Order: sequence, then C-alpha cells, then structure tokens
Amino acid sequence: MATTITRPKTLIGKAIRRREDPRLITGTATYVEDIKMPGMHYAVVVRSPHAAAKIRSIDTSKAAARPGVVAIFTGQDVSKVGPVPCGASLPGLRVPNHTILATDRVYYAGHPVAVVVATDRYIAADAADDVEVDWEVLKAVADPLKALEPGAPAVHPQWPDNKAFDFHQEHGDIDKAFAEADVIVKQRILSQRLIPTPMETRGVVAEWRAADRALNLYSSTQIPHLLRSMVAQMLGLEENRLRVVAPEVGGGFGCKLNVYAEEALMGFVAMKINKPVKWIETRRENYLTTIHGRGHVDDYELSAKRDGTITGIKLRIIQDLGAYHQLLTPAIPTLSVLMMPGLYKTQNIFADIVGVFTNCVPTDAYRGAGRPEATHGIERMVDILAAELKMDPAEIRLKNFVQPNEFPFPTATGLIYDSGDYAAPLKKALDIAEYEKLRREQSESRKQGRLMGIGMSAYGEICAFGPSPATPAGGWESATVKIEPSGKVTVLTGTSPHGQGEETTFAQIAADELGVDIDDVLVVHGDTALVQYGIGTFGSRATAVGGTAVYFALQDLKAKIKKFGAMLLNSDDVTLANGQCIDNKTGASKSVQEIAAASYRAMQLPPNTEPGMVSTHFWEPPNFTFPFGAHLVVTEVDRDTGAVKVVRYIAVDDCGNILNPLIVTGQVHGGVAQGIGQALYEQAVYDEAGQLITGELMDYAVPKAHMLPWIESDHTVTPTPVNPLGVKGVGEAGTIGCSPAVVNSVVDALSPLGVKHIDMPMTPEKIWKLIRSAQ
Amino acid sequence: MKISGSQRLPFPPDQSYALMQDPEALARAIPGCESLEQTGENEYRMKMKMALAAFSGAFEGKVRISEQQPPSSFRLDVEGSGKIGFVKGGGVLKLEPSETETVVNYDGDVQVGGTIAAVGQRLIEGAAKSMIQRFFEKLAAS
Amino acid sequence: MIPQTFDYTAPATLDQALALIAQGAKPLAGGMSLIPMMKLRLAAPEHLVDIGRLKELNYIREDAGALHLGAGCTHYEVETSPLLRGKCPLLSETAAHIGDVQVRNMGTIGGSIAHADPSADYPAALQALEAKIVLRGAQSQRTVAASAFFLDTFATALEPGEIVSEIIVPVEEAGAGASYQKMAQPASGFAIVGVAARLRRSGGKIAMARIGVTGLAGRSFRATAAEKALENTAGSAAEIQAAAALVAQGVEANSDLHASAEYRKHLAAVYAGRALFAALARTA
Ligand SMILES: Cc1cc2nc3c(=O)[nH]c(=O)nc-3n(C[C@H](O)[C@H](O)[C@H](O)COP(=O)(O)OP(=O)(O)OC[C@H]3O[C@@H](n4cnc5c(N)ncnc54)[C@H](O)[C@@H]3O)c2cc1C
Repeated sequence: MATTITRPKTLIGKAIRRREDPRLITGTATYVEDIKMPGMHYAVVVRSPHAAAKIRSIDTSKAAARPGVVAIFTGQDVSKVGPVPCGASLPGLRVPNHTILATDRVYYAGHPVAVVVATDRYIAADAADDVEVDWEVLKAVADPLKALEPGAPAVHPQWPDNKAFDFHQEHGDIDKAFAEADVIVKQRILSQRLIPTPMETRGVVAEWRAADRALNLYSSTQIPHLLRSMVAQMLGLEENRLRVVAPEVGGGFGCKLNVYAEEALMGFVAMKINKPVKWIETRRENYLTTIHGRGHVDDYELSAKRDGTITGIKLRIIQDLGAYHQLLTPAIPTLSVLMMPGLYKTQNIFADIVGVFTNCVPTDAYRGAGRPEATHGIERMVDILAAELKMDPAEIRLKNFVQPNEFPFPTATGLIYDSGDYAAPLKKALDIAEYEKLRREQSESRKQGRLMGIGMSAYGEICAFGPSPATPAGGWESATVKIEPSGKVTVLTGTSPHGQGEETTFAQIAADELGVDIDDVLVVHGDTALVQYGIGTFGSRATAVGGTAVYFALQDLKAKIKKFGAMLLNSDDVTLANGQCIDNKTGASKSVQEIAAASYRAMQLPPNTEPGMVSTHFWEPPNFTFPFGAHLVVTEVDRDTGAVKVVRYIAVDDCGNILNPLIVTGQVHGGVAQGIGQALYEQAVYDEAGQLITGELMDYAVPKAHMLPWIESDHTVTPTPVNPLGVKGVGEAGTIGCSPAVVNSVVDALSPLGVKHIDMPMTPEKIWKLIRSAQ
Repeated sequence: MKISGSQRLPFPPDQSYALMQDPEALARAIPGCESLEQTGENEYRMKMKMALAAFSGAFEGKVRISEQQPPSSFRLDVEGSGKIGFVKGGGVLKLEPSETETVVNYDGDVQVGGTIAAVGQRLIEGAAKSMIQRFFEKLAAS
Repeated sequence: MIPQTFDYTAPATLDQALALIAQGAKPLAGGMSLIPMMKLRLAAPEHLVDIGRLKELNYIREDAGALHLGAGCTHYEVETSPLLRGKCPLLSETAAHIGDVQVRNMGTIGGSIAHADPSADYPAALQALEAKIVLRGAQSQRTVAASAFFLDTFATALEPGEIVSEIIVPVEEAGAGASYQKMAQPASGFAIVGVAARLRRSGGKIAMARIGVTGLAGRSFRATAAEKALENTAGSAAEIQAAAALVAQGVEANSDLHASAEYRKHLAAVYAGRALFAALARTA
C-alpha cells in the first residue's frame, strides 16, 4: 500500500478545543454524586458546632431508633483505623494524632464526631440531627498571632505554646548585607486564609466486595494512587485490594490533593455494613472541613543599595496551620521560603517559619501553595523599595533580575532556575500597556483628583513537582501508551487531571508523535485499576512531568513500530512519519494501524521483540521547572466609596513551549480570577470563638464573571531544558502573578495620599478608611 | 458580638426589677418561649422556638440570673442549643428611674455557633435587637 | 438539598392555596430565599404550598392611573415588562439589580417583600414609589402602604394566613425621573446600601422628592427629612449633596462582616447623592 498521507506534525501548538468540554457543558459527565449502585446506603457526618470542646458523652439512641438507620459509628468504633496522614516531615515537627473521628475532644468547628448511615440520605440527615453530644465547651483560639501569645488557650493541651515547628533557612551573609545597606525597608504583609471553593465539593462512594475482600473507593480526588496507598494503610488493607477511582472531578485547586478522614471512614463503613455507601459533602461542610489555603503573617525586610540593587531579604513567616496537619500542611510555607528571592539575584537570605496551631480547619495547598505568598511578599517589597528610592517599579525590577546568560542559576534558597529571560515578559507587558503614555495619563488624572493606579508584578514560580528527592511521595510520573489491535490509541496517565484539559493536550502529543488522528486517541486517567501507578495533578506538573512520560512512552512505542514495520516491509531502512512506516529504498509503507494489528496477531516477530504494542514509561524529572511572567494592572479607586475597579489587566506569561494556547489562556484566566478573588474579595473569617462566619457562599465572596476584568493574555516562550517538550507549567501562574500586581496598582493609586501598603482583601471599606484618614 | 442598648418599661424600677425576675412573666415575654422551668435558685431550663420569617428553629437551654442588686442591676445569662446551632449570651442589665418609668440599659455579649453562625452573621445583630425589643414590649404589656 | 421532610401542594387556584395557608401551610414562591434556608435546615416548614405557579398571581396591568403587579411576577418579568419600563421604570431598574440572572428568573416580587430581608432591593423602590401592598387571606383582603408593611428585619405586617397578593405602584407623571443606586455585597449581590430616588421638577423647582433606602437599617424606610430638604429647591449640586447627607441621620445602621455601621451611613449619603443626580438628569 503506497498511499501517501501528508499529515505534518501539526497539533502541538494549536488551539484545539477541549475534548472534555462537551460532556461538561451538557451536564452528562459522571461525578461521584452520579454514581448509583444497587443497595446503596448514605452517610451523613455529625460534626462539632464548637471549635474546642471535650466530649463528655455521645447519645446515639434516638438517632438509631429512626426507621431506616442502619448504623452509627463514633470515635471509639473506628479506633483501629489509622490516623489521617501527614506526608510532610520537618525536623522537630509536632504531629497531633489525627483520628478519623474525634474521640474525647474536638479541635475545630466542623470536626467529625460520628457518622450516621441510613437507607436514604434524608433519613441519614434527620438522624444525624438526633445524635446528642454532651459538650464541655473550652476556650478556643482562631488567630495565629493570639495563639502565640503567652496564656493563649492551647489548641493541643500537650503543646501549650501552640507551635508545631520552627524552621530556619539562611544563605550568604545577611548581616553584612543589612549592615552595608543604603536603605532598609520593612513591612508586615498578610496573605489571608482563603477557601478553595471547587464547584464540586468532595464526595466518596465506597463499595466492599466481601467475597473478593476488595474495596472500591470512588472519590473526588486529585491523587487516586497516593490515596489508594494511604487509605489502604489506614484501613489495614493490602493496597492491591483497594481500587480508587477519581471520576469526573469538578475542580480541586489543591484542596483535593489530600487524604481526608471521610475517605477512610466510608471505606470503613462499607466494610462494616457490607453495602455500598455514599457520602457527599455539602457546601457548608466544604467550607468548614476541606482545607483552606494561605493564612500567612509575613514580616519582610529588604536591604538595598541606593541604585536599587537588592542585597538581602529577611522573612519571618507565621503560618496558621489550623488544628491538624493534613497531607502537606507544614510543608506549604517552606515553599514560600524556597521562592522568596523571586526573580532577583540576591544571594543573602534569612528566613524563619513558625507553624502555629489554631482551632480552625487545617490550611494546605491551594492554587499556588506557598508561591503566591512568596511572590506577593517579594513583589510588594520591591514596590515599597522603589517608592522609598523614588524609582520606577519597572526599572528596579529590570535592574535586579537574573540575566538570560546566567542560567542555570543557583538561588540563595538552593534551587537551580532552569531557563529564563525575565525582562522579556515585563517589557512586553509595558509595551502592550503603552507604559509611558499610561503614566502620563495617570498624572493627568491625578490633577483632576482621580485615583488611578498602575501596578505590576514580575513573578517566578516553581513547577513540575518535582525531582523525587524533593517531593515526599515521589516526583516522577508514569504513562502507558497502547495501540489497540484496531489501531486506536489509548494513553493511560498517572496524573489525574480534573479540569486542566490533559485529555486534549496528551492526545495532541500522541497524535502528533504517532501520526494518527486525534479522534483515534483516548486518554484514560483516574482509575488505579486501569492506570499503572501515578502521583497526580498538582504543582503545575501534569504536562511537564506526566506529558513527558507520555512522550517517552511514545518514543519506545515508535521504536517498536519501526521494528515491526521493517519486518513487515522486509527492509532494514525505514522511517516513521505521518502514521506510516516507509521503506526508504522502495517507498513501500505500512500504516501504524496495520503494524499494530500485526504485532498482536504475532504471526511473525522481529528478533528479541515481544508481541503487542504497549509501552510504559516512568519519567523522573531532573529538576523543577521555573515559569515566570509579568502582570500589569490598571485600577481606578472610587474616592467616595473606596471601591476598586480593575480597568486593565495584562498578563504576559512564559510557561515554556505552549502545547495548546486555548488551554494555556484558560488556565491564566482561571488563575487570575482566583488571584483577583484574593486581592479584592475573598477571606475566610473566623470569630474569636473559632466559628467560621463566612460559612456559605452568601458571605464568602468568590468573584463572579461580572466582577472580573477583561484579561489581555500574552506570552513569551522560553523552553525549559528540563524536559524534551520544553514545557514548564501554567496551572498556577495566573494566581501567583496576580495578587501583587493588583495590590501594587491600588497602592499606586493611593500613593498621592501617602498610602504605602494595603493588606488583602482590599475591600471598599478598608480603602475608604485609608482615604479618609489621609484627608 | 457585643450588644447594647436601652429600652423602657412603664413601671417604677422596683416593679420592673421584680417583673424581670418572675419566671412566669419572663416565659410570657421571651419571644418564642414554650416553657421555662425552674431548676435551681435563679436557674431555669427553657424551651423556645425562634421564628423570623422563613428562619426557624427549636432551642433548649438554660437561663441564669446572678449578681442581683435590686432594684438597680442584675446579670442575665442565657444559653441554648438546637439543631441549627447554639446561642450563648450574657450581660448586665441596669435599671434607672425616669419619672414614673424605668430605663433598662443592657450591655452584653452574644455568641452563636453552628449553622446560624455561618449564614446568619449579617442578620444576628438585627434579629437580636428585634427580639430584645419584642421582649420589652411584651413585658411592658404584662 | 437535604431538607427535613415536608409535604408539597401545588394548588390550581389562589383560593385553594389560601385555604391551605390558613391552616398553617407555608407559601413557596420562587424558592430563592426559602429553599436555601430549608437546605441548611434553618427552616423546616411542614407543608409547602406552591403559589409560584398560580396564573392568578402573575400579571402586570394598568388600571386607573396605577400599575398592578401580581405577587408572582418574577424579577425578570418586572425587569423586562414594557409596561413597567414605560410607566414605572424605577421598579424595572431595581429588579435588574437583584442577584444574578438565575435568581431573577425564579425569584418573585411577592416573595422578596414577604421575606423582608433588610438588604433586599425592592423595598427601596417601593418606599420611594409609595407603593401599596395588597394582603389576602382566605377570608380577608386589605391594603397597606409600603411604609407600614416593612416592620423590621424579616418582619412585615403580614398576619398568619395572609399572603402578599398584589403590589400597586403609581404611573410616573410626565417630567418625573427616578433612579436606583446600590453597592452590592460581593458574595450575595444583596445591597450593602441601596437608594431609590424619584424627583419631579416643575417651574425650575423640585416639586416632589421621594427617597427609599434599603440595607442601611433593620428595615427599609423613606428618608423624609432629605425629601423635605430637597423639595422646593432648585436641585443644585449643593442642595442635592446636603439632602443626601440627611439620609442616614439618626439611623441606627446595620453592621456586619461586609460593612460597618459607620461605613454604611457614609455609603447611604454617597448613593443617595448618586441616585438623586441620576434621577434629576432623567427629569424632563
Ligand atoms: C444567590 C442569590 C442572590 C440574591 N441576590 C439578591 C439581591 O441582590 N437582591 C435582592 O433583593 N434579593 C436577592 N436575592 C433574594 C431573591 O430576590 C429572592 O427571590 C427573594 O428574596 C424571595 O423571593 P422568592 O419568590 O424566591 O420567595 P421564596 O424563597 O419562595 O419565599 C421567601 C419567603 O417569603 C414567603 N412568601 C413567598 N411569597 C409570598 C407571598 N406572596 N406572600 C407571603 N409570603 C410569601 C415564603 O413563605 C418564604 O417565607 C438573592 C437570592 C439568591 C439565592
């Protein structure tokens, strides 16, 4: 067959529409809540209304008497289930025993104390209301600064100072830098507690197959394989008897990069009642008990020369940990320390972290996880320094950037920045904004008494987590690529995407590499029974690490295709291109599909070659990747009300090579939306007694479409040498670059009034008070 | 949350004071009170049903009166819990004569928890104030 | 949603609905306030009577110089009604400020005012319009003025067994101008403060001024001192600012997570000014 197909390698880099969207848009995707099983039971978790209390007794008799109630379990009943794991280790870390149900004491409002199982969810909810707990209410502390004060209520009575750990890192000669500085600027900067708010709350279905001694666990998770290993351990089950399926996952933003009590609890319940059981988190439970993000009080000091050269950075982080460690809780602020130098050269750093227990739900990874805090801090400080030195904020950044010829660049915090041209996106953003003209416009508008601000950030982030030595559970990723006997291609990825679009981008990679139609490629993920093993989707790693694993599995497969092709063509000189294996001498060819079919029929095999067309690759990255970019924001503040209007938003991101611009732009948009959420609207508020008073969407202000500006998204492209795709990661970039640019812009708007810093969220009332006190 | 304000009762202070210690009068005046049963000296168990438009819930709790200085002041502590959360409040009520009437100045703390804390935050102050108002209106009518 | 058990009836006629409501059943209109409460179990009505589907409560018509709206009109219908837009644009403008489009498609004007959320938008307009509210029970019908209807946070003049059946607003006279201005609470969209202003000019003077305020205090109200200050003036910028400054005077303002009492009072003056300027610009 000598048909020539001219199909150049064309999918990579194209704005291919997301193949996952039709089912999402038409409401036909299968989420955990959509799973129905014969004999399914429903569980409702009874939770503490108090932030700190002793449990004197629990009376379940009234609840148990309700018709339809099948079982009720309390802390005593689940005492054999292992604790909720903390995967982070730090020297001297205090790790509270995090049982899946409270036994004698609760530590935060929402703490699970019992689970009620019934034949339908309404009965279960009614019965949960009937469970009576006799509480001895204790004093709680919700504010990390207050928790550190002597005499504060002890969150865990065994540790009256409420400290979980102290962490220190330094490099260079910080004392010399500060002693010789021309100028030192200091500022306390808050990164408030945020609630991740995925559209889909958590949910679990557990099904115990007693005859097989096998547990099937369906959970809305970002990490099915890690979850399997850890829940198996908690339940004392061999992990090959536990299957975890992450069906459609409606967003995670890090909050589903975790192992939660309910995941093990539902496994336990299913095993006990020998029936499938479903638990779906309500929005209120989601706010109370799914991890929150951020929660930083940061004290910064920057030393610099008069010409604007930054010579040293000191940082003291007080991290609000909440009552327990979830999977990565204590590790998150250490990422802030890693990224504290930002894109700047200085080799002198000094950092302390105090991890503080509070009677609140734990904090953990939320879009950006530690890097937004670091970026917000350094980018605010650079602006504060620029103001002090009366320098232009763009100029001071350009002066301090690591230069393009300095890569790979070892940072003061021990990282090796892979590649970059940090000035490029900033200059591009300035060009798009017509910066000089904008500044002239600003001075004109100031003359009219208007409060117009121009702010920018130049961010760097650490992505593609990560080399295994630096990533607790392993930092590699796996892929299997199969060409089925019919010629259709199946890609199994260990990353478990949940909205990022890898069903499209990975199919693009496979289709291009094999020269097949993209519609012939199916990307499968999220099921531990199907997928070899994997780490998951977080830390902007899925494409850079998981995509690279796919790429290498494809290379192995291509070699095998060529072997079979050469055999079938009776040639020793073949090329694989456009889905055809071509005999370079005769021009005869066999299609990939024909070759795959022959490999399964196995009538004949090339020497030392197994039948079949399957390849698995586990890829270990040699380094992280370090995307970067610059955001520029124009704002206008309403002098009368303090309301901030974002007039222009320019995002220039460099995430290395771009596989699909549509998806990259989508990630930037979503990230910026969450960054603006933090900058202007969102804040998890606990009252003094530890009650979460932003407990519903009526009070927690996630920005809606009409509250967001048009985002002008552009890019520079600096490929990474870390992986052959040259991709760096873009899932979190928007969030990381955003908040400092917005705050810098508003501070700039108010600078004529003498305002030097504003903490987030910049609510109208806060701004109004600043304006008023300046007048 | 701090709550303070003042209300009037159309009686002289000693009569007002006595009324506010009288369980029967209290039971009639506390909005939604279904029963008030004495459990000890100056201690009562109360069942009440709170209703504010669409919002309603049954509470069970305790009422305690202390620091009595007739006829000028006393302290009132109320705590109740129900399926939708709990309410705890306490404060000092000071009675001042004003011609033939009494001005009652109150100053206290209210703490709520559970679902009502999470969603009712913006409404609690208003709701508490209107309940206090109704309480005094009913007391005045007794 | 997992509420407590309840019965549900969707009667065919208003009379049937009123008979059930007289027996203690709770009306369900758009469900935009009631259902969230039930979902959180903050409300547990035993019997819901769906009045949201009654055609008898769904009309907007003009009669003898006034506009009559059935309580069952959705916010969207109020927003887009050509009759209202032409003859009482303030009400349409206010409806457009409510929540988001889903809420406007479901929620009703009757439900909103019966619920009497202190931050709801309609009450400001109804106060400024001196609207009349028709209350019906199984055996009764009465009409109360908006100013006498809204009593307090979630409290209205409705007696047990009564529903809001109709809202009556005037046809704006020629030469009148009106505007509703609000600062929205970022999470819910409700008004932190909302001010509705109506002005009529005659002979170079402001002949009539009506100002309705919501969100500021426990109940919506008419800012009569500000109205008086403005009437018979020329409506200069200074006069408007001076009147606007009176709106919050002596008011015991709400305070919550989103705005302190002090800020709300300040906003009331700012938004009153904006509403008055906008209304003035619309006077012919
Ligand atoms: C996300 C969201 C945002 C919102 N934003 C705003 C906003 O910005 N501004 C604003 O003003 N509102 C807002 N609302 C509230 C919305 O306007 C509701 O529609 C309205 O408050 C209630 O109307 P309903 O028809 O939905 O009533 P329902 O929820 O059905 O009923 C509410 C209450 O009124 C009673 N009731 C209903 N109809 C009658 C009647 N005819 N007579 C007597 N009693 C009756 C019910 O028994 C119930 O107690 C918002 C709601 C949501 C969910």
